[in-house]
Amino acid sequence: MDFSTMLSTMASGMLKTFGIFALTLIGSLPLGMLVALLRKSRFAPVRALIGAYIAVIRGTPLMLQLLVWYFGPFYLLGWSIRGWRFPALILGFIVNYAAYFAEIYRGGIESIPVGQYEAAEVLGYRKGQAFIRIILPQVIKRIMPSVTNEVITLVKDTSLAFTLAYQEVFSLAKQISASQTSFTPFIIAGVFYFIANYAVAFAMQRIEKALNYYK
Amino acid sequence: MRRTGKTLLALAVTAAVFAGLGVTASADYEEGYVFKHGFDLDYPPYSYIDDNGEVGGFDVEMAKAVCELYGWEYEAVPFNWDAKDAELNAGSCDCIWSGFTMNGREDDYLWSKPYSDNTQMILVQKDSGIATLADLAGKTVGVQTSTSAYDLLNDEEGQKALCDTFASLEVYETYTIAFNDLKAGAVDALAIDVTSGNFLMSGETDYVYLDEALGSEQYGIGFRKDDQELCDKINEALDTLAENGTYDSIGKKYPEIYDYLCLNKGEAADAESTAAAESTAETESTAEAESTAE
Repeated sequence: MDFSTMLSTMASGMLKTFGIFALTLIGSLPLGMLVALLRKSRFAPVRALIGAYIAVIRGTPLMLQLLVWYFGPFYLLGWSIRGWRFPALILGFIVNYAAYFAEIYRGGIESIPVGQYEAAEVLGYRKGQAFIRIILPQVIKRIMPSVTNEVITLVKDTSLAFTLAYQEVFSLAKQISASQTSFTPFIIAGVFYFIANYAVAFAMQRIEKALNYYK
Repeated sequence: MRRTGKTLLALAVTAAVFAGLGVTASADYEEGYVFKHGFDLDYPPYSYIDDNGEVGGFDVEMAKAVCELYGWEYEAVPFNWDAKDAELNAGSCDCIWSGFTMNGREDDYLWSKPYSDNTQMILVQKDSGIATLADLAGKTVGVQTSTSAYDLLNDEEGQKALCDTFASLEVYETYTIAFNDLKAGAVDALAIDVTSGNFLMSGETDYVYLDEALGSEQYGIGFRKDDQELCDKINEALDTLAENGTYDSIGKKYPEIYDYLCLNKGEAADAESTAAAESTAETESTAEAESTAE
């Protein structure tokens, strides 16, 4: 295999990696917010349920969760899993990352002094209004560094898709390395990941700067 | 973390196997049937990513030839080798066809006739001074996880006794990494399937096999146990492809394994193959016969 074939094959894997990355973010960023709010619900069973969800997701390896998402429908319910590989993969990632994002959001929300809620109330804001207009913008600014961290981890975690034999860039690197008896594919994969993360870090930095409109 | 993941994976797969919920095969293997070929893309030259970046290898080409013969549609289902049983039982693929060792797994699957021989060998550097299996005492030996060489070295009835004489057995994720460690001198020898070893050594001259083999085995295609009809169809197709020369011409493209292809090798092999075809229902006895015949 010549170098350009290797590069283009792996680039096609990188596209798939990006697909996992983007779909996971699109799903888990909003879902995480929902989870964070439900965790602060006034209804105790909901709080307990969300607490259990976060405990299970954070307490077990993502690799295992992916296997359960993929094989679970068959072994637990007897359903056919044809064509289920990619949906299971994305679902597994979203549900996992939503738990982590929820905790980041919660940290941000709880860091806002209670006086702000009181001030908003005095000014006549309703509860939901106060949250969206006053609390949330501050929360977002505060949590950006943690979110960046998590997003970068996600770029690298996409390699766990190899568990379900999805042909993303790391699976491909392993396979090409085996067939070409060479380490070059791993180095290429490393460069790809680095470039991707560099781009993520750069974009996040720009967003952070844009958000610092009071400084 | 990686190890934990693997252990859990193994647990999940074991649980899956014990759950024992096989997919009942649809009995409709007519023209247009979508044949789902399950394999590991990490196993050159049987199934791997070829020089054009496409899915290829001896097993893949053979499976495609079978599909062409029956007018089936070919669907590649690359899977993670550790999860092969879960994939097969859950029905995401029709068979495991990926340089898959029959010996020691006789009861676990419905087997096709064997189509390739294989030997486990010890690979060393030319000037290492290791000449016999006994010389390996006190040495470090590398092996890839989930391979028959690995199983052999951990089997009481296999080469466990020999393995106990090693200073240590290093278990690798892939032979590519293991081979690199052999080059670098981090391990003294590799226990490896001869077909994989030949593939690794193409273009290398400083490595040799010991004359004594660790063990020998045969590759077959593994089906779900209730899938007799499909198994029979594939066996028939293998016969046809062996007779019309397709098997041979595909084999010629893979010089590393060509000498080990066993479908139509002389009278003895033929007799064995026929026996295998006739008694696929009792795969265990056949496969035992095969291994003792070795």
